[in-house]
Amino acid sequence: MRTPFFLKTYSFPVGIMISSLALALLCISCETDETQTVTTFTNLTFEDNFDTDGSIDETSWNYEIGDGTLNGLPTGWGNNELQYYTDRPENIKVEGGMLHITALKESFQGAAYTSARITTKGKVEQQYGRFEARIQLPWGQGLWPAFWLLGSNIDEVEWPQCGEIDIMEYRGQAPSTLIGTVHGPGYSGGEAVSKEYVLPNDRFDTGFHIFGIEWGPEYINFYVDDVLYNQLTPEDVDGEWVFDHPFYILLNVAVGGNFVGPVGANTVFPQTMLVDYVRVYSRSN
Amino acid sequence: MKSNILLLFGFVLLLSNCTRDLSDEATIATFPKNGEVYIDGFSAGLEYLPFGDSYFAAFSVDEETKYAGSSAMRFDVPNVGDPNGAYAGAIFPDYGRRDLSGFDALTFWAKATKKGTINEIGFGQDFRENKYQVTLSNLELTTNWRQYTIAIPDPSKLTQESGLFWYAEGPEDDEGYTFWIDELQFEKLGTIAQPRPSIFDGADVPIQTFAGVITPVASLKQTFNLGDGQDQTISVAPSYFEFTSSDPSVATVNERGMITAVGSGEAVITATLNGVEAKGSARVTVVGNFVSAPTPTQDPSNVISIFSDAYTNQPVDYYNGYWAPFQTTVGQDDININGDNIIGYSELNFVGIQFLVDAPTINASSMTHLHLDVQPREDVEPGDFLTIRVADVGPDNEFGTGDDSSGEIRLDNSKLVNGEWYSLDVAFSELAGLAGRSNLAQIVFVSDATISSIFVDNIYFYNDGGSGPMGPTVAAPMPTQAAADVISVFSDAYTDVDRNLNPDWGQATVVTEVDIDGNNTLLYSGLNYQGLELGSPLNVTGMDFLHIDYWTANSSALNTFLISSGPIETAYALSVPTSGWASVDIPLSAFAPVNLADVIQFKFDGNGTIYLDNIYFYAGGGVATEPTQAAPAPTQNAADVISLFSDAYTDVPVDTWQTPWSVGVLEDITVAGNATKKYSMLTFVGIETLGTPIDATDMTNFRLDVWSPDFTQFRVKLVDLGADNMIGTGDDVEHEVTFDAPARGSWISYDIPLSDFTNLVTRGNIGQLILAAQPENAATIYVDNVYFYGGGGMTPTEPTVAAPTPMENPANVISMFSEAYTDVPVDTWRTDWSQGMLEDVMIAGNAAKKYSEVIFVGIETLGSPIDASGMTHFHIDVWSADFTEFWVKLVDLGADNTIGTGDDVEHEVMFIGPAQGEWISYEIPLSDFTNLVTRGNIGQLILSGRPELANTFWVDNVYFSQQ
Repeated sequence: MRTPFFLKTYSFPVGIMISSLALALLCISCETDETQTVTTFTNLTFEDNFDTDGSIDETSWNYEIGDGTLNGLPTGWGNNELQYYTDRPENIKVEGGMLHITALKESFQGAAYTSARITTKGKVEQQYGRFEARIQLPWGQGLWPAFWLLGSNIDEVEWPQCGEIDIMEYRGQAPSTLIGTVHGPGYSGGEAVSKEYVLPNDRFDTGFHIFGIEWGPEYINFYVDDVLYNQLTPEDVDGEWVFDHPFYILLNVAVGGNFVGPVGANTVFPQTMLVDYVRVYSRSN
Repeated sequence: MKSNILLLFGFVLLLSNCTRDLSDEATIATFPKNGEVYIDGFSAGLEYLPFGDSYFAAFSVDEETKYAGSSAMRFDVPNVGDPNGAYAGAIFPDYGRRDLSGFDALTFWAKATKKGTINEIGFGQDFRENKYQVTLSNLELTTNWRQYTIAIPDPSKLTQESGLFWYAEGPEDDEGYTFWIDELQFEKLGTIAQPRPSIFDGADVPIQTFAGVITPVASLKQTFNLGDGQDQTISVAPSYFEFTSSDPSVATVNERGMITAVGSGEAVITATLNGVEAKGSARVTVVGNFVSAPTPTQDPSNVISIFSDAYTNQPVDYYNGYWAPFQTTVGQDDININGDNIIGYSELNFVGIQFLVDAPTINASSMTHLHLDVQPREDVEPGDFLTIRVADVGPDNEFGTGDDSSGEIRLDNSKLVNGEWYSLDVAFSELAGLAGRSNLAQIVFVSDATISSIFVDNIYFYNDGGSGPMGPTVAAPMPTQAAADVISVFSDAYTDVDRNLNPDWGQATVVTEVDIDGNNTLLYSGLNYQGLELGSPLNVTGMDFLHIDYWTANSSALNTFLISSGPIETAYALSVPTSGWASVDIPLSAFAPVNLADVIQFKFDGNGTIYLDNIYFYAGGGVATEPTQAAPAPTQNAADVISLFSDAYTDVPVDTWQTPWSVGVLEDITVAGNATKKYSMLTFVGIETLGTPIDATDMTNFRLDVWSPDFTQFRVKLVDLGADNMIGTGDDVEHEVTFDAPARGSWISYDIPLSDFTNLVTRGNIGQLILAAQPENAATIYVDNVYFYGGGGMTPTEPTVAAPTPMENPANVISMFSEAYTDVPVDTWRTDWSQGMLEDVMIAGNAAKKYSEVIFVGIETLGSPIDASGMTHFHIDVWSADFTEFWVKLVDLGADNTIGTGDDVEHEVMFIGPAQGEWISYEIPLSDFTNLVTRGNIGQLILSGRPELANTFWVDNVYFSQQ
């Protein structure tokens, strides 16, 4: 992996400006279509309900270990993240019907925090479809959990040409705000096409929510629970539409880094992201 | 109740919901779920009540500066030292109450004329219990409108909350300023999350204490993560928490977070808030009973006191000067144990009490001695010491000059014993180096950290007048036992056995024999402990009692011990101090397991100066050891009786006649064919009816028959479980009745009016009966015929006789309601916003007002306010079968004669535990209505009753009078 700047490299002010513009649009679309159909793809092609206690099912999932350097990235996964990813049960386990990814505050391999990151690369990859997961998020300044997709051709064409779809990103210091994003050539990092969704009268760390996309040729619909909050099409991106090949799934909890800023003095550790299930569907028939 | 715009829909629903039989099918009252406090004006029911010493005019309604709508709340904080009140502060209650359980936060918009930090702001203060008070400290305001949130620690508690908002704020940098609050309301934000409650600031705090001492759980906090991702920590009232003690026999904790030390041992106090375990705990170590220092006996006219509850103390600069940089000692005059104020020093190396700068120096030239009591709070090793130094500053009132002098006395481990008071009486002449005592300025304690923790009490200078401490002037009472029945140890009346009155057991006590009124008397001075050794072992198995006469003016603890070989010893506590000579006859069974065939020694311990005489054993002269006759047969009509144990009645179920936690042995026996409970080696026994609690509401008396050969005291406790029918919860009530020196050797029929159980304010669910006796672990009692009975009829539920006819001269009366006088006009005897029903009724031909299902009722004379300025008393007759509290509030409209304006004043007088079932004539001096500073325009009278909604009262003869 030679890519110098992998993914999720954001410049703060731009991101926020994009967000607030997008938010204005969102409100209009919501109000005009109260009975929207959020999902239409119903042919289940993959699911992991995390029903067997123990370690993750490695027929579907891979661990990614370390601080990014093993993956050819600068320390901190290209984003100055502070955690060291491990496959230890303290950081990742399946228990009580849930996947637990836990960020710990501990000195480990030169890092101040540990956590975990898993992918389905080479195991579960699909072009188009509905990708969703039911998750309860961690909280606190500096926590950065994500449920996202990368193009399976990343090793051939590099990032961002491979494409990236961030189904769920979230800052622990903004517990009601979800961010959905796509990255591609000409619109990656701080130029990525992104939209925030603020959960009304609720927050993402006190209960489970379903985060998903429904993705077909020339469109990606972003939804949370029963709310469709964004649709992206080739017209929305300032560059090549690179979402017509298979992608794989990633789940991780990062600590610190450019996107979330430093860990707060009062941030409580350990912090756990609970994943009830991950499911992938294709269009029916 | 200034606001007369209280009409709320919820009240109407409430009243129609209430059934007559509240006790059987209590319906939970519901209150308006209105979250609005101030949007563009006072929400329905809201009142403004400033703190008594605050700047009353701080609050106003501002129609120019506002965040939204037509107005905002404006608060003008005064300058420092403003004579009208140096700070701004108020509560905004709605005494109609609200159901806020559907909300999770109080929110508002605020701005200020400059950067200000509101000292305290929150809700839950109602000037009553403040049961669910929440305080956010140091809320920073900006000069721009910003929205603020104060989280509710546990919304489920706030189903009937009056305290909607409160604040207290002082000047910033001595300067007043103005801030505004708008859109003040409770909201369901849905984003108040991640609760992290704590007590004791999250620390595990060790607390060493004594039985009977109450210590509050401190620093009760709740922390949330708010919707903006920021943490907020608020101080919350104890009632939001559930507290638990790991061992209630060591320490209990009530719903108000008050920890009561009960018995020796260790217990951990923890808490939860809304099911979340609070961080922090108290590790309570109870080290037995606290023994106060001996009570000073010097005549106050001969004393200059620095620190003592017995005298008026001179002012001091401080009790701990925290002398930098070398002093480590902490603590001062901040310990109060069961009402006894004590100085506690810990981490002691040295510490000084000073009276020099803010307080005048002390001229002790007419005094002769320094007295103080000191108690080490840790083991004292050889080499440990405590030096007490007295310093005189000389006429120039300045230390470090040539006229200073000081003298000191050093106490070592021969005098100082862990947990025991040492009473120092030292003559100034023995304080070498103290050249003068006309300008005494310091008392200094130095231990160089050899002893790190001490209590100090009763520091005073005195003139001993050349005589020693006070003693008895008359001889101890002459013994009356026949010499043949006596084995005497110390008495002029008998021949004493061979004994050594002062064996050297290392004690500090000074033993002398003194002549009192011609009688040889044993004197223990400065008792810590003292032995008395018998020349040869005594066999006292043929004896029944140990007799001792004793006299002490200052002891706060005194025990006597019998000791047999082993040694096996048992203490018996003597009541101190005495008033004159005290005589005690101790059953020898009280000294079990001491071998009475082999008594070798006596011992006394405690403190103070003790005179002893007539120490002898004697045979009891025929007191039987068990009853031969059955208890007298009860005579009450069975229909009026609820019997727990009697052959004469059908008994109700009793879970147990001896709970596992009882101290004593139970046997079921028959006495002359009559079933009887025998308890021996008794301290106390629990008898429980938790399974089917007894409804003694209609009973008037509790009765039981008791026979004992040896008890010296008998106690009866009843425990009611309260409405929840559960023991150990906050609504339990109990009361114990004590009988001292009961007759021995005959059946005693205790017939106790339930009204004597004063604190047993409910008795619908009696769940426990506890019988206790002294001597502890030794008494034997026989019990029969345990029952409640009614007075032969039901307690009346309504008055049958008219209220007493008033006797005041009509010329001196302004009557609102009475057939004896001409009444002034009254707008209404029940305002719309009242919580209670009104009926006009006749009682024995006399008109009365009947109020039922009452929380409060308003009576108004707004149309023609009453000028009571020439009156001195307010009179009201009231009758109720069931109220437990009765409150009377008067409201004066002020000079503007308009309600709801700033010049209204009011005061409420509360009567707790009023007599039931009889007319009570309250003749209340208007001076008792302290805050009713004007009374020229009385416009409202508000009557309240408790328990809420479950009380009915009749009212007659409501008038003001001049006497």
